Amino acid sequence: MKYTTFNQVVTDTMVEPMFMGNPVNVARYDQQKHPIFEKLIEKQISFFWRPEEVDVSRDRVDFQKLSDAEQHIFISNLKYQTLLDSVQGRSPNIALLPIVSLPELETWIETWSFFETIHSRSYTHILRNLFSDPSAVFDDIIVNDQIKKRASDISQYYDDLIFYTQLWQTLGEGEHVINGETHVVTVREIKKKLYLCINSVNALEAIRFYVSFACTFAFAERKLMEGNSKIIRLIARDENLHLTSTQHILNLWAKGKDDPEMAEIAEECQEEAKAIFLKAVEQEKEWAEYLFQNGSMIGLNKDILCQYVEYIANHRMNAIGMGQPFDVQSNPLPWMNNYLSSDNVQVAPQESEISSYLVGQIDSEVSSSEFSDFEL
Amino acid sequence: MRELPVDETCIITVVEHQGHDGVVSTKSLHTEASETLLQTLERYQIDIQYHCRDGFCGACRTTLIDGCIDYITDPLAFIDDDECLPCCAKPNGPVTLKLD
Repeated sequence: MKYTTFNQVVTDTMVEPMFMGNPVNVARYDQQKHPIFEKLIEKQISFFWRPEEVDVSRDRVDFQKLSDAEQHIFISNLKYQTLLDSVQGRSPNIALLPIVSLPELETWIETWSFFETIHSRSYTHILRNLFSDPSAVFDDIIVNDQIKKRASDISQYYDDLIFYTQLWQTLGEGEHVINGETHVVTVREIKKKLYLCINSVNALEAIRFYVSFACTFAFAERKLMEGNSKIIRLIARDENLHLTSTQHILNLWAKGKDDPEMAEIAEECQEEAKAIFLKAVEQEKEWAEYLFQNGSMIGLNKDILCQYVEYIANHRMNAIGMGQPFDVQSNPLPWMNNYLSSDNVQVAPQESEISSYLVGQIDSEVSSSEFSDFEL
Repeated sequence: MRELPVDETCIITVVEHQGHDGVVSTKSLHTEASETLLQTLERYQIDIQYHCRDGFCGACRTTLIDGCIDYITDPLAFIDDDECLPCCAKPNGPVTLKLD
């Protein structure tokens, strides 16, 4: 089915599935099949922040004092996060918008991607402050083997979905030979790819980010790199919301509350989806090993970090009905929660550079004296 | 622990599953009017996962076995029909929670 930017067929968005139905026409939110997505949009917009509002100038001094091993940990994590947000800043738009069928979900995807671009800009803000020329750090992302290994796993599900959607939207269902390779395109096949893609995104935002979050907050626990930590807290808050949205999508499918065919696919591909999570856990543990290859940092080492990855994976997988595959009962890094709590993100304005406390501060009090010179 | 007059408190019964031996333990907690369920659990030093404390991340998702709760903020995180988010909920009468 050819994509159209304004579908002139009359559609009822109350009965359309989330994806692979009719393209959206009117961006209307007066009636919503899944109102949760508009609530997420409102929440996300209320979180708006700009990297420049956070003062990272003291981090430069702290960074000079870090040992070589600690500098490696800090910079490698930033590189990896830059990769993750580079992918997330564009992929939900390119992969999901061509097949989305509900206006509230379409707008959520756009809002979500926009916030990922704020994250990308904040990494440049952090690195510009640490180095007079940060290009060496950025240039390494594309050639660093450890990062590349994960990059292909992260992007492959998106790329696969995008390619098949393109074939379907230009050539329709059927067997298509492209550059000598045969591709069998069916709506069900695209839906399968979509299901795996959303699982992979969920794993990315639920697990992959947390290794670097843990390292950042471990520095902050020692009162080091606090500007950076303030930014990462804002990013973590956004990621928690994005994670909620993909959990909703997966659960709406699995519980048969959206597209009945997706409920079948969710059951059929459950093991494959679980394997995506388990592979993400393995890769993050390997990443932890790479981070600590030159030595640990105070308060954190490879083993604790690996336990934390398993702990967080248990929680995340349980949330989408995959059970708890790892034997970790208690949180090995309890202080992480202080940094992930949104109470602590919005600190008193005088304590921080963040100006978002001004959002919505309009004086709406009107006294009767204001009307004294009014005449009817 | 300060004893509260009965009319100011609700009782939360917490059912905990202890490891693989199948032993089940229960605890009775008294809530204070100003507290969310999560704050009450924390006051009794019961280990519970949380992140956002604002109802949008779902880290504190807990099974609600029995009783009624009121949300002080609209929960955005996914919760199943038999689950609740203690970070933004207050009990409305006696409540029984199951902690894993």
